[in-house]
Amino acid sequence: MKIVNDLNFRKQAKELGISMWKTPSFLFLLMGIITIVAMASVYYVSNFYESPEVLVIAESVVVITIFSIGNSIILEVERIARLNKMKSEFVSVASHQLRTPLSAIRWETELLLTKFGKGLSEKQKSGIETINLLAIRMTRLVSDLLDVARIDQGRLILKKSCFDLEKIVQETVHSLIVVAKGKNTNIIFKNSGTPVIVVGDAEKLRLAIENLISNAIKYTDGKGKVEVSVRKKNGFVIFSSKDNGVGIPDEQQSQVFNKFFRSDNAVKYQTEGTGLGLYIAKNIIEQSGGNIWFQSKEGIGSIFSFSLPLCSPVKARHFTAKAGSKHKA
Amino acid sequence: MEKKKILIVEDETTLQKTLAEFLAEDGFEVLCASDGEQAVALAKKGKPDLVLLDIILPKKDGYEVLTELKSEADTKNIPVILLTNLESPEDIDKAFEKGASTYLVKSNYKLEDIAKKVKETLKM
Repeated sequence: MKIVNDLNFRKQAKELGISMWKTPSFLFLLMGIITIVAMASVYYVSNFYESPEVLVIAESVVVITIFSIGNSIILEVERIARLNKMKSEFVSVASHQLRTPLSAIRWETELLLTKFGKGLSEKQKSGIETINLLAIRMTRLVSDLLDVARIDQGRLILKKSCFDLEKIVQETVHSLIVVAKGKNTNIIFKNSGTPVIVVGDAEKLRLAIENLISNAIKYTDGKGKVEVSVRKKNGFVIFSSKDNGVGIPDEQQSQVFNKFFRSDNAVKYQTEGTGLGLYIAKNIIEQSGGNIWFQSKEGIGSIFSFSLPLCSPVKARHFTAKAGSKHKA
Repeated sequence: MEKKKILIVEDETTLQKTLAEFLAEDGFEVLCASDGEQAVALAKKGKPDLVLLDIILPKKDGYEVLTELKSEADTKNIPVILLTNLESPEDIDKAFEKGASTYLVKSNYKLEDIAKKVKETLKM
């Protein structure tokens, strides 16, 4: 099956955006055929002519042909790799450039609403609020694109420091309560009450947690319930977010962490979304030395979980001491 | 009580203007600089209580400004909050090494949150 697939030049050409004669697998096959034909003809030639010169010439012709085909395969692959790199670079530069005007829109609308709102009618205010919210949404999209470009270029650099995961989860849940209420969904965070000190990049992990919990809210409709928990197990901490939402169809579960993937029922249910959140979360968590997994049943709900290594006890003590002294100051 | 003085260093005029107006409405006296050289000069002359500093700036970048401020007796005790769109761990570490008090990524913060950080830093 795989061989048949590999030999589907037309499909490969379409995927890579090049002509069929330039696809690596076609050229490879061609090289194989030439090798076989050449060997047969060298054999044939050597039967008729006994002079070694003719043999040498025949062999040279074969070697040169194979060499040039091989070379054109390499050149094509190189060209594709370069284009791919240029694409990632373009995405990062373009997204970066979008950030300043977006910040300006966000700040200007916030200034209008909070400081110069006197005399504005309710309608005007709500219009400005919408612009503000949309600019915030666009800012998120731009940061997601930047993160994806970084992941694709292998440039997503994560800090490794000890921090309290429970506090971050608590803050994230808190910041999402309004969104959940708007969808008539309840978020419950079962906190253990003691700090859970893990190693990783606090800000990026906050983003991963936010992606998981906001997905749970987004894909749960009315009377929804989202349960978030954090617990320790064998030197790791396990985070879980359980919802009673739309779930993921069985046949699509293997693609959940793919870039730009959105399940059929999710698209029907909620048009907003890019399919980048889980891809980013997976990359952040795995790069932090953890794992991410899920269980889901369509129409019943999903549980998304991840593990992260705990901070070594010595460092954790240092962290608690530092946090404590900061608090007193 | 006397008004606290904030120096905003930002080359993007729209951002500089909104930030300045917001802080002025919050009861601060505001100074503005649009490049690194102007920033250093204003910090020495204007004696601000706090500096909000961008990193990518014409003439001198934010790190150079920070280094200069921290090396002079007059200005070394002024707290500096970096306010930038750079967000790699190296940039953040470099800023703290050079003596920044706080590091904020512009696109993650509302004006209100920035004002809050300013007040926290000034212990208001």
